[in-house]
Amino acid sequence: MTTGTAATRVLGVLAIITTAWVVVSAFFLTPADVVQGDSVRIMYAHVPTAWIAYLAFVTTAVASGFSLVRKHRTLGFDRVAGASAEVGVLFMAMTLITGSLWGRITWGTFWQWDPRLTTTLFLFVTYVGYLAIRRVDVDPVRRARRSSVIALLAVLEIPLVHFSVVLWRSLHQEASVLNTDGDVRLDGLMLFTLFSGVVAFTLMFVWLVMHRQRLTALSDLERVVGLDAAISARRAEGVSGIHAT
Amino acid sequence: MDLTPRSAPEPKRSSRRVLPIVVAVLASVAGLAIVVMFLTSSIDYYCNVDEVGVREGCDDTRRVRVQGSVDEGSLQSRAGNTSFVMSFNGVSLPVDYEGEPGGVFQECIPVVAHGRIVDGVLMATRIEVRHSNEYEAENADRLEEAEKSACS
Repeated sequence: MTTGTAATRVLGVLAIITTAWVVVSAFFLTPADVVQGDSVRIMYAHVPTAWIAYLAFVTTAVASGFSLVRKHRTLGFDRVAGASAEVGVLFMAMTLITGSLWGRITWGTFWQWDPRLTTTLFLFVTYVGYLAIRRVDVDPVRRARRSSVIALLAVLEIPLVHFSVVLWRSLHQEASVLNTDGDVRLDGLMLFTLFSGVVAFTLMFVWLVMHRQRLTALSDLERVVGLDAAISARRAEGVSGIHAT
Repeated sequence: MDLTPRSAPEPKRSSRRVLPIVVAVLASVAGLAIVVMFLTSSIDYYCNVDEVGVREGCDDTRRVRVQGSVDEGSLQSRAGNTSFVMSFNGVSLPVDYEGEPGGVFQECIPVVAHGRIVDGVLMATRIEVRHSNEYEAENADRLEEAEKSACS
């Protein structure tokens, strides 16, 4: 049994091509920054991974909302929610690691208990907790209900993370693209490479979520089939016992 | 033949059930620790240079974080000691730091210095560079010049 389809294969190939372009552009085509020098290249991974993590957690919340409200296919939405959160945690970890490396080179420190950094780490830990809670319940229906409520609450942290640099005085710079005044403070090719990174990571995100949710569906199915098989075995045992007497 | 229902075997406390609970508890503890660390670090007031001695909390009675730009020509490094003047909104503050600041520290760059103000000088124990949200190509001017000359 496979989790791949024609659509996921196309997505996978597109993700590889766009990622390859981002790597080439980030390392060889884009210029160094006037202040940061070559360390600016970290941005092409750092910013897209942060945005995709936000996207993943919002997807988790939306799918969780549907899972709670709808009467049919609720488990399907729950699987998407769980898969999206897993991928989101992965991307958020990459955001924290790349940000920390950039911080060491630019700020002079790996970590600072600054509003943006702290709220991002808190968001990451929240979703690690969410994923742990998902694994506590064996019953998929109960798992879906419990984790949906947590997902709908956890997503409220995202505006706090994004606007933390505006709400508080922060060492972290304000947004260069999605900022409050609408100005874009990036040179042309830098901006294009940044958006290429967003496209590449979005394709990767969709590809990973599709595979992961199908894998979860198979795992849930295996449990149901296993239960059916156990019941059949017990019945067969009883029937063979009758014939024996 | 005995067809009476059998009692279910004792459920095993498998590690597959315990591990998620442990992780969830650890995540909760980590979340609490993060909030505590954030609040503890916020004890040092975050002031701009022009707020020193003006805004409540931004004075010489406590540790502060002061933000400003390093004045051009003010940077001096001697025997592992760094001194410079930082300014914000036309107000200046001398800074003394034992060590060499890391990151892309240089003149005319915004910095945040942590420390205590003694006799009008910020005795810094930590200096961080605060990068702006503008990204500009290293040789943008030269590129523009070259493009202009090529087109004219």
